Amino acid sequence: MDRNQQRPRSSILDSLGEELIGILTPVSICMFTVVLLVCLLNSDPSSSSSFSSIATAAYSETDSDSPWDKLLGAFLNSLVFVAAITVATFLLVLLFYLRCVTFLKLYMGFSALVVLANLGGEISILLIDRFRFPIDSLTFSILLFNFSVVGVFAVFMSRFSILITQGYLVVIGVLVAYFFTMLPEWTTWVLLVALALYDLAAVLLPVGPLRLLVEMAISRDEDIPALVYEARPVIRDDSRLVQRRVWREQRSNVNDDDVENNVVRAEEEEEQRSEEISVPLIDSSSSSSSRPETFLEGIGLGASGAIKLGLGDFIFYSVLVGRAAMYDLMTVYACYLAIIAGLGVTLMLLSVYQKALPALPVSIMLGVVFYFLARLFLEVFVVQCSSNLVMF
Amino acid sequence: MTVAAGIGYALLALGPSLSLFVSVISRKPFLILTLLSSTLVWLVSLIVLSGLWRPFLPLKANVWWPYTLLVLSSVCFQEALRFLFWKLYMRLEDVLDSFADRISRPRLFLTDKLQIALAGGLGHGVAHAVFFCLSLLPPAFGPATFYVDRCSKVPFFLVSAIIALAFVTIHTFSMVIAFEGYAKGNKVDQVIVPVIHLSAGMLTLVNFASEGCVIGVPLLYLVASLTLLHCGKMVWQRLIESRNQSGPTLR
Repeated sequence: MDRNQQRPRSSILDSLGEELIGILTPVSICMFTVVLLVCLLNSDPSSSSSFSSIATAAYSETDSDSPWDKLLGAFLNSLVFVAAITVATFLLVLLFYLRCVTFLKLYMGFSALVVLANLGGEISILLIDRFRFPIDSLTFSILLFNFSVVGVFAVFMSRFSILITQGYLVVIGVLVAYFFTMLPEWTTWVLLVALALYDLAAVLLPVGPLRLLVEMAISRDEDIPALVYEARPVIRDDSRLVQRRVWREQRSNVNDDDVENNVVRAEEEEEQRSEEISVPLIDSSSSSSSRPETFLEGIGLGASGAIKLGLGDFIFYSVLVGRAAMYDLMTVYACYLAIIAGLGVTLMLLSVYQKALPALPVSIMLGVVFYFLARLFLEVFVVQCSSNLVMF
Repeated sequence: MTVAAGIGYALLALGPSLSLFVSVISRKPFLILTLLSSTLVWLVSLIVLSGLWRPFLPLKANVWWPYTLLVLSSVCFQEALRFLFWKLYMRLEDVLDSFADRISRPRLFLTDKLQIALAGGLGHGVAHAVFFCLSLLPPAFGPATFYVDRCSKVPFFLVSAIIALAFVTIHTFSMVIAFEGYAKGNKVDQVIVPVIHLSAGMLTLVNFASEGCVIGVPLLYLVASLTLLHCGKMVWQRLIESRNQSGPTLR
């Protein structure tokens, strides 16, 4: 046909699935970095007992307890943690309702500073110690100060380079996730499952705080103040068919074939894109230490159709994979694939239901199931086969 | 032995697949998704097999016939799963074609379909290399190395990396052969893929004999190169055919 002769043959395969890869890449980078940190810095397993935070406030695990004690203690710990997060989220909803947006943004900048300077500094010192890197304290403090301040600006200001903002969000995710992997083992697993259930309840139930927040944000047509990673927006030339009805634009009647509306939306998107990127972090510092806990937002669609994933999801995926890395690398691969599969399923559901969905439950459940399957069944099988050099 | 040796072993098993990934697969996001999903399918098949065989493990040392059963059952299961994977892919192809019609773009070309099959095969191969070779590598990053009695000339990590490389090749290209065979209904291609997989699995059983890996590994590479040749011939023929078909219409 003439069309094939005159135009270059570009198939649909060239650009299909770009948005998905745009969100899978940072998640993979975050998980990979946390696994690397765990492998480099965790040659000494007994040091985890000195870690105290709100997540171990009810019970701190010791090696000499029986499994039932550990399970009960882990359950109490996660109950305390989920309760603290619920209270913090309701506080956030209240503040958002009273329109204290400036306060929330300032708090977000402050908590980004705390994470980058405090946690980042601690991990850098551990790495310098491990590799015997020669650096003096003055240089180190100047570098750390510069690094944290640029990070605060990246998270705080709207018109920052998107690549740097994304990079800093991933770094914040890595730092917080690494510290969460230092929790005791049983507490970590029970906490992950409890948080997955909490996320499900908070986003889908009518009284859930996250759902209230999303509905308020939609009705006011504003941004939710939370740390959210937005994949780089994709611009297409035949955008009328890659329409994704965003939950912010539900009230405008946009026809799929209406090119005019697309032009209007494109302009609108350019202005609003700046708002999308400046999303604050809500932290609630724990009482016993300064470990911040981040706000869990589900997965949703940005103004330009790019996928937004809350930073809490990054953090807890990486915590799961980091904890799997403390056992063996085989469990790491199994959990990584399970989490990616869960994320894919969630994104498919997102394109079907077109509203904000919790990103934690499917991935965490699949991840936990695959971890235990890999640990109990897979490892014995594979080691048996490959140590005899029998492969298939 | 050291970090350099560990990275060397990893690259030995996965080097060619890394270059395939960077040059072909990373260009098209859909192929990355295909790779990830076929890796997941292979992992699930391995978990199911390990669940089935768990009551019988650990097997007695130096007895080789249970391993025959193990390899036989695993290969049969994986080939059945490959057929199901192809069925799923056919449905996906229909969805993609109707999507292409809707946005008035050309339908999937032959090269697209071959690339999807290649990504699927690479996913299987990478999963094999990761689970059978890379997951046992961390001790190689330390100060010492490990030798197995039955293959005492080379370190264990080196042998498993070499075998993994052969299997990556076999998995990658037999998926292309299988997809084309199922699509065209070509009996030869359909039968040759399970035969290759089974013979490769059985050849690793030769490693049970003392110093058997000296024979087993070169034979395995023979099978891998046969797979490569057959796949190359088949793809070449297919491309020539499709060029002849579309040739006369271009004026």
